[in-house]
Amino acid sequence: MIESPSILLDGNPVPYRPGETLLEVATRAGQDIPTLCHDPRLEPMGSCRTCLVEIEGWPRLAPSCATLAEPDMQVTTANPRIQRHRRLLFSLYLADHPTEHEACEDGAPCELHHLAHRHNADPNWPHMEPLRADRPGDRNPYVEFRADRCILCARCTRYCDEVEGVNAITLTGRGSETTISTSDQISLMDSSCELCGGCIAVCPTGAMAEKMPLVAGAPPERELQKVRTTCNYCGVGCQLDLNVDPSADEGRGRIVKVTSPPPGTITGDGNLCVKGRFAYDFVHHPDRLTTPLVRQPDGSLAEATWEEAIARAAAGLMGVRERHGSDALGFVSSSRCTGEENYLIQKLARAVFGTNNVHSCAAT
Amino acid sequence: MSSQEEPSTPSPTPIRAEIPDALLEAGGLKPGASRAVSSQTGIPEADIFGVGSFFHLLAEPHIKVRICQGLSCQMAGSDKLLQQAKATGLPAAGCSCLAACDRPVAALRDRTILPDLTGTDLERAGGDWKSLQSEALGTSENWKGVVGPADTPTEQLVIDLSSDTDFSGHALSRAQELGPDGVIEAIETSGLQGRGGAGFPAGFKWKAVRSEARTPRYLVLNADEGEPGTFKDREVLLRRPDRVVEGLLVAARTVGAQAIYCYLRGEFGGPWRALETAFDRFEQAGLCDGISWHLHAGHGAYICGEETALLEALEGKRGMPRLKPPFPTQVGLWGQPTLIHNVETIACVPEIVLRGGEWFDNLGRTGPGTKLYCVSGDVEQPGTYELPLGISLDDLLQVAGGMRGTLKAFSPGGASSGFLPASERHRPLDFQSLKEVDTMLGSAGVVVLNKQADLAQAVRAQLEFFAQESCGQCAPCRIGTRFQARNLETLLASTRAGTTREQIQEVAWEMNEGSICGLGQIASLPLTSALRWFPEIFEP
Repeated sequence: MIESPSILLDGNPVPYRPGETLLEVATRAGQDIPTLCHDPRLEPMGSCRTCLVEIEGWPRLAPSCATLAEPDMQVTTANPRIQRHRRLLFSLYLADHPTEHEACEDGAPCELHHLAHRHNADPNWPHMEPLRADRPGDRNPYVEFRADRCILCARCTRYCDEVEGVNAITLTGRGSETTISTSDQISLMDSSCELCGGCIAVCPTGAMAEKMPLVAGAPPERELQKVRTTCNYCGVGCQLDLNVDPSADEGRGRIVKVTSPPPGTITGDGNLCVKGRFAYDFVHHPDRLTTPLVRQPDGSLAEATWEEAIARAAAGLMGVRERHGSDALGFVSSSRCTGEENYLIQKLARAVFGTNNVHSCAAT
Repeated sequence: MSSQEEPSTPSPTPIRAEIPDALLEAGGLKPGASRAVSSQTGIPEADIFGVGSFFHLLAEPHIKVRICQGLSCQMAGSDKLLQQAKATGLPAAGCSCLAACDRPVAALRDRTILPDLTGTDLERAGGDWKSLQSEALGTSENWKGVVGPADTPTEQLVIDLSSDTDFSGHALSRAQELGPDGVIEAIETSGLQGRGGAGFPAGFKWKAVRSEARTPRYLVLNADEGEPGTFKDREVLLRRPDRVVEGLLVAARTVGAQAIYCYLRGEFGGPWRALETAFDRFEQAGLCDGISWHLHAGHGAYICGEETALLEALEGKRGMPRLKPPFPTQVGLWGQPTLIHNVETIACVPEIVLRGGEWFDNLGRTGPGTKLYCVSGDVEQPGTYELPLGISLDDLLQVAGGMRGTLKAFSPGGASSGFLPASERHRPLDFQSLKEVDTMLGSAGVVVLNKQADLAQAVRAQLEFFAQESCGQCAPCRIGTRFQARNLETLLASTRAGTTREQIQEVAWEMNEGSICGLGQIASLPLTSALRWFPEIFEP
């Protein structure tokens, strides 16, 4: 058996798999290295500079997210130099960011404020008004870009390019005026954007924010209850978290947004589409049917139990088969059905009713 | 981009590399231009916009006149000229150093540099940018600066700016006799260090690229001269393009590169033509066989002089420096092993090959070789002087006709080197001696300031330059450069000065430790060096 290579991490030998970054090895070993521009789904960029570590023999600190482990590398993740670096770096970030922690978190939690606090950043350095341009007047209904919060980690643009393959947004401009933009600052509606909202999900500071809860004045995310569920828009089965404001609607609670679980924790890897992330308002719509309805002899619809409703449907189907034969029936399943449900409906059509007239609307 | 048919190694991503030029053809980043280039190339529209917006000459197509705000031009009154230009209705803005510090004030009309611009020139243009001319220049756009010293024997000069061009290819023949190993040995013996600013041993890089198994390998010429106070590469390209091209051909053959990419700053129309002509001459003589060459214009971004930012720009991306390691010798242009050198470095190669490494090594005073020193500011004869490496400021001033006024401060190697006091006038201007006083030779763009000069304004100019030219990628530099510029104003207004002084040192430390590239690492130096050597300018 070949012995696996190892690095010396803060003095302790830690084995690694070739191709792993120092951040991956250190995280697995339980070290807490701060990151801002890192996302396991993306190619490392190494630009936020928060994850710098010291490597024996290297003159400069190195980004652990972008440095591959090599045999017998001696890596230090915490010492006075690194701590000083983190404290000063976060102090600089705060000087260029909304200073009030709570106010900054009117939507999602702000990773920057949390890290800055943990690494003893000085919140009292003179504040500089950001020179980054917003994208005012973008009429898209879902994504609001608040440039003052942006730290240019480029998670959103890289997610858009590397995961979604959409390339709707980009780093734009240069220096302090660098910002996130579409081409010509056009609305996302006029760009290649598919409104998946992944930019919101990956943003560490709430610069990319969901419009609807902001407009509705929903409480900040930290006050919401997360309810894990399966998206029912299609058969993929993405997991998502309904974010419920428990005090809304006289204490009955109300879904005020949907977030995706962190990457690596579920199938779908934290990716959602426009429907799963934004089309949740039907849940509380007054027209939504919450019990089966059965047609009465006078033509009106009356509430019924599931047993009554299914019995009534079965009787109707069997009646058609008796009068006109099996091929008078056709079965069309909804595109919202899962693979298992589609299997069952073809089984119902073929084995129970004896017809091959079966289709799923997802096929068209 | 002009090019020759490439024999066997087409560029892996040729379309993306053409984004900047396609945007230029579209008239710059006007509304709709990205979409038009996107439909031509199939590259996503936003990517094109991101690239175009990075480069000032593309991003601001409505600006037709730019007045240099580099230190030497500011000392010659460029801010007043800028105000005047705007007042006369010219579509004008300031810009970073135009590499014409020897003939201030420099201005840019579209893409043409006009040296020696005066208020009268601006008046004469009468608001019509197309008719803006520099009277000192006349109608010719072919201008050069002063070079010297005149009386040095040729055998003591490596680049020899004032001699005639020589397209005989003697150095190439000699290189062939020596073989690649012999050439590398000569380069190593010579002790040649990179002349772009970092001073890295050239032989080391040649060896590294040659030892890489992967092909193709590339050779890149860094002619994106933009360090404020520096204009030597302009002179080399204008006067000795033969040396540059022959050096490139020797290097390409030695390290096994089949393609040469030259990245010239977009304002260098004259140097471009000179280099192109020189390539043609060597090609006609059959000396370029098997090697393709490409000229690529920059579009206004100082940071693209940083070697990995330059590679990104060559690939048609935003000019943001890469993380190092890996170094370009391993992972360079399009991910391939790449040798990249500054113009002056490569121009040293032919004479090293012809006369030997030891000859070069012995030329210097405190380090190997001669060095092109640019001098500008309060000096009688601003120009480019080829002198033994390690001469002092006094030696330099002597060949440049002496000071105008009494020396107060000088910047030994561009904005990146900060300021030194007159008491350092005897210190050798070389890589090692300047390190001892926490500065550097850099590109050897020396700017001298006399007692009348406004040093606080000089510090401000340098800090603003870095804030303007930071690529914006990493926080220490993006935020730090602006923060330090602000701290300067706080100091000068002398409120909260104690805390501010402390903060300046802390931020300087962090910019050095945390920044990705050299720009951010040294960008506090104008301020910290002024605090160290000239505390009096911050006294109330």
